[in-house]
Amino acid sequence: MITKDLNLLATHISWSRLRESAATNIFMVPVLVVFVVLYAVPMGQSVFYSFTDFNGYSNETKNVGFLNYQTIFADPTMLAALGYTVFYAVATTVLITVFAIPLALIINRKFFGRNFVRAVFFFPAIPSVAILGLVWGFILNPLGDGVLNTVIHSLTGLGPIPWLADTTLAQLSTVAVAVWTLTGWHAILYLAYLQSIPSDFLEAATIDGAGRWKTFRYITLPLLTPAMTVSWLLLMTNGLKVYDLPITLTKGGPGYATTTITQALIQNGIAQAHVGQASALAVLFLLIVGIVVFGQLALSRALEGRYS
Amino acid sequence: MTLFRNTTLRSGRARALIALGTAAVAVAALSGCATSTSAPSKTTLSFYSWDPAATMKPVFAEFEKENPNITLQVTYGAPVQGYISTLQTHLNSGTAQDVFIITAENKQQIMDGGFAKSLNSEPFVSNLASAAKATYTKNGKLYGAAVSSWGGGILYNKDLLDKVGFTAPPKTWDDFIALCLKLKAAGITPFYEAGDGIPVSVAALVGLQDAKLGGKMDAEIFSGKTTFAKTWTGPLTQWNKLFTSGAESRSVAGLTGDQVTAEFEKGNVAMTSTGSWALGSIQTAAPSLKLGFMAIPGASSSYWAGAVSPGYAINAKTSHLAAAEKFVTFLQSTKGVAAYQKATASITTTKDFTPTLDPALTSMAAAVRSGDFYLPQVSWPSNSAALNTEATAQLQELIQGKTTPAAVAADLDTKLKTLGG
Repeated sequence: MITKDLNLLATHISWSRLRESAATNIFMVPVLVVFVVLYAVPMGQSVFYSFTDFNGYSNETKNVGFLNYQTIFADPTMLAALGYTVFYAVATTVLITVFAIPLALIINRKFFGRNFVRAVFFFPAIPSVAILGLVWGFILNPLGDGVLNTVIHSLTGLGPIPWLADTTLAQLSTVAVAVWTLTGWHAILYLAYLQSIPSDFLEAATIDGAGRWKTFRYITLPLLTPAMTVSWLLLMTNGLKVYDLPITLTKGGPGYATTTITQALIQNGIAQAHVGQASALAVLFLLIVGIVVFGQLALSRALEGRYS
Repeated sequence: MTLFRNTTLRSGRARALIALGTAAVAVAALSGCATSTSAPSKTTLSFYSWDPAATMKPVFAEFEKENPNITLQVTYGAPVQGYISTLQTHLNSGTAQDVFIITAENKQQIMDGGFAKSLNSEPFVSNLASAAKATYTKNGKLYGAAVSSWGGGILYNKDLLDKVGFTAPPKTWDDFIALCLKLKAAGITPFYEAGDGIPVSVAALVGLQDAKLGGKMDAEIFSGKTTFAKTWTGPLTQWNKLFTSGAESRSVAGLTGDQVTAEFEKGNVAMTSTGSWALGSIQTAAPSLKLGFMAIPGASSSYWAGAVSPGYAINAKTSHLAAAEKFVTFLQSTKGVAAYQKATASITTTKDFTPTLDPALTSMAAAVRSGDFYLPQVSWPSNSAALNTEATAQLQELIQGKTTPAAVAADLDTKLKTLGG
């Protein structure tokens, strides 16, 4: 009798667990559908197309093996785009981190007009990057009547500097504009983490005689590592996917100096109707981004572990 | 009894319903017959427009007035890349509009893929300009009907040029550079040309070379009979003198067409190279400017850059072929072209209509209407977009002084080889 009751109870429990897990899983369905339809299927299609001569118009495709991949590695344009994209992603990540943390420390202090200053630094992240690109296009206009060139000329008498018309200057200019745009946003992210640091830690450090630098080095910075993980991840992934800022500022030029992988993908896939080749580039790019992001996460976790 | 009565009632209701149904079907059938004889059903024809609504609405209104049984369902695209990519998706999925635009950027895929119907048997073909027919013809079949062309040359500010005693357009490239240097010496910025594409002056200088080879230069490059190195190095060397002589600033490598146009509109530069399509907006932005167009001077003669405008193509899978043919025929008719020309002020090229043009376009009108112009991107038989991107990038390097004309031309040969052209 007891065994029968226990069996009944077990059945009841397993059913209720099943119902519970089914109810939980139902909430996953919409996300899963979105993931499959918008990510998994296109990704699978891209992998398939990367081995074909698909041109985006006709569905009659021919298997070309690894030809598209070979073409990418043989094409200096693609390699230039890859080089600039990696440079952009790394440079913006490093520079924004270097500027955003001190900025966060400053705007974390109490001073008159603090909220206004925070809003001012956050503002560049609000307008569309395309609009910012156009505005900066006027500022960095390489002609004598460009805003920056006018200011420089009136202050120093120097002639027009070809900001967007010279290979190196164009690369540096795009990075500088990106740093200007995103530093405030990332400073606010660091600020949120700074405000969650218990004041006991800082007070204890002060009592122990730690100066500002030591407090920052041994208390603040280690406790900011989770924020750095988030910030770096966002900066690296967005940096590797960048398209809008360089295209509005320089259209990828001069030459291929500021051509990004995304621009090369669009040019190949749409303008040149080489969808197969663009897909191969997308697959390679996905792998590169995956390796970079996982490597960076591993590094961040190691840093977090060391400091915690 | 109750049961019987109910059954009777039910059968009575059933009979009444059947009778009503029959009557309704009969009425519907008769009314259908009546409609089909007195007023034919309307056809909805879909069209994917290249030009914006403001330009095309008067043209569409005229067509619908003439063809009350056809309703146009128009979608407006954003040229160039937005239009091309959307049409590409529609064609690939079999959902393309009944009539769409064929242009330099997609003609190869449309003609090779059989997406457009051959227009050879259409009555309006004889009314098209020969350049328009040649642009959209492959293997003897015409796939697009273009009604206009544009010309490109040097647009100049008459007041600024008058300051250095300008009387007539320079006859040679060296004369042009001399004019630039004269302007520069007078403290006037002589010439800006946007670096964000193949410049109009390069196109025209290469066009002169093409004309010298009987208009077969690109066909011969692509068939391997000649090379970019053999045909482009000369014109590029000539063009490069602009920068080596200091006639034009190397900063133009980073300038867009809009930036150059803005400088010209402000009167900051005496000359710029552009197409006839830009004239209207420049005149609107700077109505006080006195403008003139001159052809690009070469070693001994001058030439215009230019191309046939996008053409109208009929979807090969359209289920409204008759309506589509009527629409494209209307667009080539005197009435259709007149309405289009009024809205766009473009240089139309159909034989039975002579456009009234802005005086600034007089110098190029005859050449453009007779097809005496050249644009590499349109003339290249295949891989036009890829070669255009490569040429633009290489020319920007040349402007910066980081490469040579010979290296640019050789690079185009390498690119063509990579593309399998």
